[in-house]
Formats: sequence, C-alpha cells, structure tokens
Amino acid sequence: MIKLNRQIITGIRASQSGEDLHKYLMSAIMLEHSTIPPYLTAMFSLKQGTNQRIGQLIRTIVVEEMLHMTIASNILIAVGGHPEINTKGFVPNYPGPLPMGIVSDLTVGIEAFSIRLVKDIFMSIEQPEDEVLVHQLAQGAEPQFATIGEFYNAIQKQIEKLGQHIFVQPNAPPQVVASQWFPPGKLFPITGPASACRAIDIVKLEGEGTSSTPFQAPGDPAHFYKFQEIAAGRELTQTAGGFADDGPPILFDPSGVWPLRPNCKIADFQLGTQARTRIERFAYSYSSLLNALHQTFNGDPDKLDSAIGMMYDLRVQAAALIQTDVEDGSGMTVGPSFEFVDTQGGMQSGA
Amino acid sequence: MSYLDSPRLHFSGWFQADVSTINNDVRFFQNDSFVQEYQQLGQNGSWNPEGTGVFRLLDCSVTGGFLRGLRLTSTTEDPVIGMTIENAADRAPGKLVDLDPQQQMVSQIWGMQVRLISQAAQTIFQGEYAPAAFTNLWQKQQQGVRLDQQLAACYQSVVENVAWTDVHSSPLLRALKEATEDSVLSIEFNVFGYGRDSTIPRYTMGHVAGTIGPYKRREPKHFVRGRQMIAVAPNFTKPAGGVNSLQAKVSNDGQSLTVDFGNSFPILTADSGLMDIGHVLLGVLTTSPPAVLPAVDKTQFQLIGEVGYLADGWYTQTAGVETFDLTGNPTARQLLPTCPLVLLSPNEDGTFKVLIQESIGGLYVRADSFVFRIDPGETQRIEFHATQFGAPLANSVINLSATEGFMGGTGGGDTVSPPMRPTAPIPKIGTPKDAIEYNSSIKTNADGYAALEISASRTGPGTPRGYLSGQLYGIAYQLDTHPPGYVSNSLNYVSILAFSRKDPPKCPTWYGDIQRLFTQYGNLYPIMGRYVVDLGSYSSVVSRIKILRLAFSLPIGDANHMPVTRDLGAGDRATILAWLDTKGHDGLPLLGSPSESPAAASLAAIDEQAADSLVSLLPSQAAGKTAVILQLEQRGKIAPREERGEAK
Repeated sequence: MIKLNRQIITGIRASQSGEDLHKYLMSAIMLEHSTIPPYLTAMFSLKQGTNQRIGQLIRTIVVEEMLHMTIASNILIAVGGHPEINTKGFVPNYPGPLPMGIVSDLTVGIEAFSIRLVKDIFMSIEQPEDEVLVHQLAQGAEPQFATIGEFYNAIQKQIEKLGQHIFVQPNAPPQVVASQWFPPGKLFPITGPASACRAIDIVKLEGEGTSSTPFQAPGDPAHFYKFQEIAAGRELTQTAGGFADDGPPILFDPSGVWPLRPNCKIADFQLGTQARTRIERFAYSYSSLLNALHQTFNGDPDKLDSAIGMMYDLRVQAAALIQTDVEDGSGMTVGPSFEFVDTQGGMQSGA
Repeated sequence: MSYLDSPRLHFSGWFQADVSTINNDVRFFQNDSFVQEYQQLGQNGSWNPEGTGVFRLLDCSVTGGFLRGLRLTSTTEDPVIGMTIENAADRAPGKLVDLDPQQQMVSQIWGMQVRLISQAAQTIFQGEYAPAAFTNLWQKQQQGVRLDQQLAACYQSVVENVAWTDVHSSPLLRALKEATEDSVLSIEFNVFGYGRDSTIPRYTMGHVAGTIGPYKRREPKHFVRGRQMIAVAPNFTKPAGGVNSLQAKVSNDGQSLTVDFGNSFPILTADSGLMDIGHVLLGVLTTSPPAVLPAVDKTQFQLIGEVGYLADGWYTQTAGVETFDLTGNPTARQLLPTCPLVLLSPNEDGTFKVLIQESIGGLYVRADSFVFRIDPGETQRIEFHATQFGAPLANSVINLSATEGFMGGTGGGDTVSPPMRPTAPIPKIGTPKDAIEYNSSIKTNADGYAALEISASRTGPGTPRGYLSGQLYGIAYQLDTHPPGYVSNSLNYVSILAFSRKDPPKCPTWYGDIQRLFTQYGNLYPIMGRYVVDLGSYSSVVSRIKILRLAFSLPIGDANHMPVTRDLGAGDRATILAWLDTKGHDGLPLLGSPSESPAAASLAAIDEQAADSLVSLLPSQAAGKTAVILQLEQRGKIAPREERGEAK
C-alpha cells in the first residue's frame, strides 16, 4: 500500500476553493501516471509469444491507469486547473517513491517482469485499504499513514462540500471525453460534484475493488487482484465462502522474459552505441507522448489520437531496445528510460 | 528562391531509416509460398526484418549559415549556430517508404515534422516536411564494412505551414523569416554512410547534412530552378567523372553563384569525410559546345573559383553548399547566361579534365514531384519546369512516353531459402498500358511551366501482378529541343503506382475481403504481428479494432497512417474500414466462411527476362537497392561496373 503523509488529507480538508484543490488533483494525475512506466516495462519485457495471459492482464491494467489519469485530468480541468504533463518533474525519478508516497516506504523501479516484482511492488502499489479476504493475503492498513483510498475519499468529500460553484469555469479548456477509446459509462464530462464523485468511484473501484468483492465487473478483478492472480498463477474465482485463486492457471515461463537491467538511464550508456541511441529514442518518444497528452488536456482533446498512436509506437520501439545487450558482460539487456528529454541522438555530443 | 539563396542555415548530424526489409523481394508478397523463415534476420539478405519504417533526424545541429554574403560558423556570429534540428515532439516520427517492391529507387519520407529548437529547448520554428523522394542516388562511398549501404542520395523538399516563435536574437533567422513566402521553407539534405549490419552502432543509421533556406511561391519544391550539372553515367551509381550530378544558382543580381556539392563528392568510408580528389575548379566555358567535353585548356573557360572542399569543417559547416563571389569577375558574369558551368581537375600537361558539365545547351526539364499514387478514375497533375541556363524556357514542347525506368524486377537474389513452393513469378510492370492515360506532349508557358494530367481508368489496371495488387507505370520526359547527344539524368522519370479497383462490399467479411490483404502485411512487416496485432489472425485483429480503425482512417500524410507502406488503394482501405465498422451479432466484424476466400489472382504478365537476370547475392550483400542495381546491370539497363564484390 502506498502510504501518504497525513498532512495531504488535512490539506484537502482545509481547501476553501477549487483552486486550493488543484495541487491535490495534479498529484492524483501524477500518481495515476506514475504506475504506467513500471507496468509498461514489465509488459514489454515479456518475450513475444510467451507469457501471453500475463501480458494481457497487465495491459488491461495499463489501459485503466490511462483512464484514471484522464479522469483526474478532467476533474482538474473542471475546477479550473491546467494539467501540467510535459515537465521533467512530472515523471518520477525511478527508482523512488511514487508521487505523494512517503520516501521511506515503497520504492518503485523500472524492471523486467518477475513474480517478485508483482508481489513486492505492484501489489503494494494497488493494495486496497480493506483488502478482501483472499487466503494468501491478510494485512491491515497502518493508521498512522493515510492511504490512496483516504486521499480520494477526502477529495470526494471536499468537492461535495465546496459544491457546484467550483465547477463554474467558463474559460476551462474542453475535457477529454473520447468515446472511441473509453466507454461513456467510464469517461464522461465532469460537470459538478456528482459526476466528479462518480468518476473517482471508478478510479477507486478499478484499482482496489470494493470492500465486498475483488471484482470491479463480472469476471474482471480490480488491479490488486489481477496482480494477485498473476502472483498466484491462477485466475480468481468466486467460491461459496468468498473468493479463491483456483481458476484456470496463469502460466509463467521465466525464460520468456528479457533480462532487462533495472532502472536504465540514458547517461549510463556510451555515446555511439546501439544501447545509447535506442534508449534515447525511446525516452524521446515517451516524452513526445507526454507532450501529446499535455496538449490533449490543455485545449486540444483530439490530440488523444496522436497520444494513443505514440503508445503503439513505444511498443514497437521497445522491441529493438530490450533486445540490446548492455555490453557490460552481464548478459542483461537495455531497459526503457522514461526520462523527459527535448532531443534525441546518442551518436555524438552536441555541436 | 530556395535553399541555394541567402539567407540559409546548414545542419549536420545523423538520421535513422528503420526500414523493413522483407518487402525488398517482390516474391515474398505471394502469400501462398510465404514461410516464417523469411522473417529471420539475414535470411535472403533481409537485414532489418523488424523495421518499423521510421525515418528521423538524430543529433542534428545547425553547423553553419550564410547571410548577406558572409559565411557564419559560430554561435557568436549568430545564435542560430548550435541550435538543434529535431522532428516532432508530440506525435509519432516520420516514415520512409518505397513506392513498391518493384520501385525501390524513389524512397519517400512521409509525415515528418521539422523543428528548429534553441539551446534552451524552445521551438523556434516548426513545420511539416512535404513528402519527398530521394534523387541522384549514386555510390558515394568507395569502401565499406560488411553490408554497408555505399549508395548516397539527396532529398529536396519544402517545410510547409511553418510557425515561428521568437527569432529576435538571430539576424539570420530574422532575415530568413522575412525572405520566405507563404510560411514555407526550402530544405535539402544529403544522406550517406548508412549501416545495414545489425552488429554495428550505425545499424539503420547514417550521416545527414543539409540546408534550409527561403522559398518563393510558384517555384519548384523538389529541385532548384537553376543550373543543372549532369553526370555522364551509363551506370547512374558510377558517374564517369567521379562527381555526381548537382545544381547551382546564379543570384538574381548576377553577382554570385551558389553551388550544391553536397551529394557530389566521394567519401572513402562511412565516417571518413570527403576524399581528396585533388584540386577542383569551378568555371564557365567560353562557348556552349554541343557535347560534354572530356577536357579543356585554359582558353576554353573562365575560372570562377576553386572549391574549398578539403578545408577543415567545410562539409559539416556548409553541407557542401558554396557561394562564389562574381563581383570581381565580369567575364564570368558575361558568360554565365549563355555558357555552361564546368567542374575541372587540373591535368599535369596544363589542360583540365572535365569532371562534370552543365546540361548541353543549358537545357533542362524536370518533373517537380516524380512519384505518384493514383486510384481508379482519379486524375492528377505532374508539374514540369523547363529552363535554359537557369532561365525559364517558354513555349517549349515536352514529350512524354512510357518507360520502365529503373522499375520492375525484384530486390532479391537468384535463390530463395528455404525454396519457395510454389515459386513466385516476377511480375511484369507497365501492363495493361491503357490503365493510365496522358498526352504525349505538353507546352511550357511563359514561366517555363507546364502541367501534365494523368488519368487512371475507372476500372484501374486490374490485378496484372497477381499476388501483388496495383501496377507500376513510368513516364519518360524530354524537351523537344534536346539536341542529339544530350546527356540526361537517367533518374529523371516519373514513377506511378496505379491502385487496383476494389468496390467495398456492403458486408465485407474476414475471409472474403480482409484475410488475404492482412496476411500479406503480417508476413512482410512482422514488427506489427509480433508486438501489436497478429494481422493473420481474425481473433487478434478483432481485439484491436479501435487502433486499426484510427490508423486506417488517417490521411496518407499522417505519421501513423496505415499501412505504413502507403501502398493500399482507396477501395481497399474503404473495404477495411467498412469491415471494421460492420458488426455481426457477436458485436465483432464479420468472419464469413473460408469458402469465401478469393483464389490468388493469376499473373497477367510475367517478366521472364527479370527472372532470368537474377544475380546471386554475396553474404556481404544486402537485398534491396544493392540487388536491384545488380539486376539492372545484368539486364543491360545500366552499364556494368568494373568490380563485383564488396563495393556495392
């Protein structure tokens, strides 16, 4: 579970205006985004033709994280804010805490898929406050810290408290309501406290499930439980007494993973090498994706198509990158870097 | 005005062309005999089977400039020096695309954005690169490592819809913004030193050096209406004088001459820089001879200047574009309107070898764009510009005729491993002849301009190539007044891909309308199938309907347009979209039944001569352009080069 400093909750509760909420909503956008690079990397690291079910499950989670990021952005726009997506500070410096997370707590890096990664990191990121009883896992929340659930609950409460008037924003840029990518039941315009709270409910539900069921929809477990399925090697099923991971097996073939060196950075690699040019190009493309999203949430919602095009572009670019030897004798290959960059190159230093 | 005018800036750096290579051999378009082994690296000379098609500029910075008669080389002279030339930062990169597996000699860049960004990462200008094909392909590089692409070429185009931000700090940029018209800039760059060996750092990358200058409306976009020096080259890859074709321009006031040597001088290896080919002098002949002269004595020309190509940083800082001051040379100024330029190398006996000479009589005609894709029933315009010593040539007749150019055949070798079952015949191009219609001559107006309308028949060419849809047509062009012995640039012809007609059915099905097409793409471009969607599988395809819907509906100029290869006619694309949009009871596009699968079309015309002229590829030789050129030599379409082996 991501542990937040309690002061964040206090701050939300003390907010007197929509503007006071901006920084918390911006943090929500950053948090929802921050899970995408580690999840994407784990997905990319799976070799083609192997571990397909695992890849599918992670992919559905990534897509929902993108939805959550969009929802958080729409709420920020609705209360007069401007999502700042394309800055160096927007992307966490992996490995490190996620946005709002307490430094001493969870450290999230950019690594190849492993069961350990799923158990120790991904499940921790998604761990619900009130985890449903699944027999392998039974841990309680630690009350001295706030949780993501509390964070979103506090935002919902404060939005309701502040009321409709914070949504009167005649100059706000258009929100992103892209029915070609997300169903209207999940992505809809935020026009007031009711729609904002309903949207946050979706974020909470898809991430954590509810207190009574791990399923956010029939046959579709929430993120935590999907990761748990992967870790357990079996799909989750409903049983007479609750839920159990005794469904069809989810096979993991450890040989079907590219041995990515964890937390690769551009500067780790010599100029004039394949590793350097490829990691630079990847980082530039990821930065382009963030630029496209920034435009999407700042007046040009149709730019979302370009952003989604970039997602596929990243996928095919990752193919060559993750097969590139790091050339340190370890046999490991180059992992992606999500550094925010302005230029791409890697063959020569600047003029 | 163009990049050969002032002001201009020069840049240099690297490019990546991550082209896919299975489609280099037309025979791999035959689905029935395709096996997965053809997708392996190195198989049948396929050096980048997982290519994405991406073309992008890397590490490109502004290295020089030219303003008011002065060369600029440092940031203190103008802050534009040291700025970066980049591509789009908010969308997918551009793509490099062959017109067709049977026309690989006019590869085009699509969907590329060009940006100038400051040291502070601020975008100074950005605009859209108008799709352009390379030209003046030749073997610039004399030696190479395994699989090196020793061919080089140049691209000239315009950057359109240019948006400027702050240019105040740079006099050069202020002047450039002031000089150019219609928010368009002229851009030219040379590509060379490209690596095809997957084990070297240069793999899929090469050097680029280029120039950006002003553009004036109604000028050609893909060449300079100026002076054209044309290499004598029975084999276009090996110009007889060792120097490749180039263009030059006399300034409007006649006081200077700017020449682009950027794609004309040889290099030894990919990274060696220019070779020392001795003193190179630029002059203008004192007469206009009816032939290319092999040598001249000092009475036969007026010297303009020595080309400073061996000076430190010359190529990097100028991209090979040099301006010669004529203010103190009244003789040259007087001769230039009526006499040809020459590039000379001094002989020991006091005479001068002619390395390259301007077109005979100064006559020249060029199709501005020379690569076309045309749908059935469509009409397009090919724009021609005719000049004499750089001045518009009015009321001149341009004759047009069918040609195969350097199209046809295949970019593979004489064996395919594992062997094809059944063997794919090599299709003949240009047939049926009546699928494309155009006049046999046109006449230039007072500006030396003429447009030729080409019309594709309503029925299209059919499927004369059987397993490969569409058909290629070439148009040769020349001035009626070309004298006997006129030396043409053999790469100057028009290439047309005429798409086959396809009427979208009301309810297209996977088996009936989609499978054959998607399977072909899946075979040829495994990067998609391996990482995004298995195009040969219905269940995989219908799991990615949204992204396919988007990609197939994007305009051809969009970087994310599908297919990347831009080789699908409007009818086929409409069929795909109709299929994606027409859902059955299960909410998915219609599957249909295997019995609906159309049989592979038989070939109306087989090119036996091409099949008989296949050449074995050495292990060090790649499929694609190398193989195409070997085959052109074998077919007698270009003269054989002396050596055979590594230097290809």
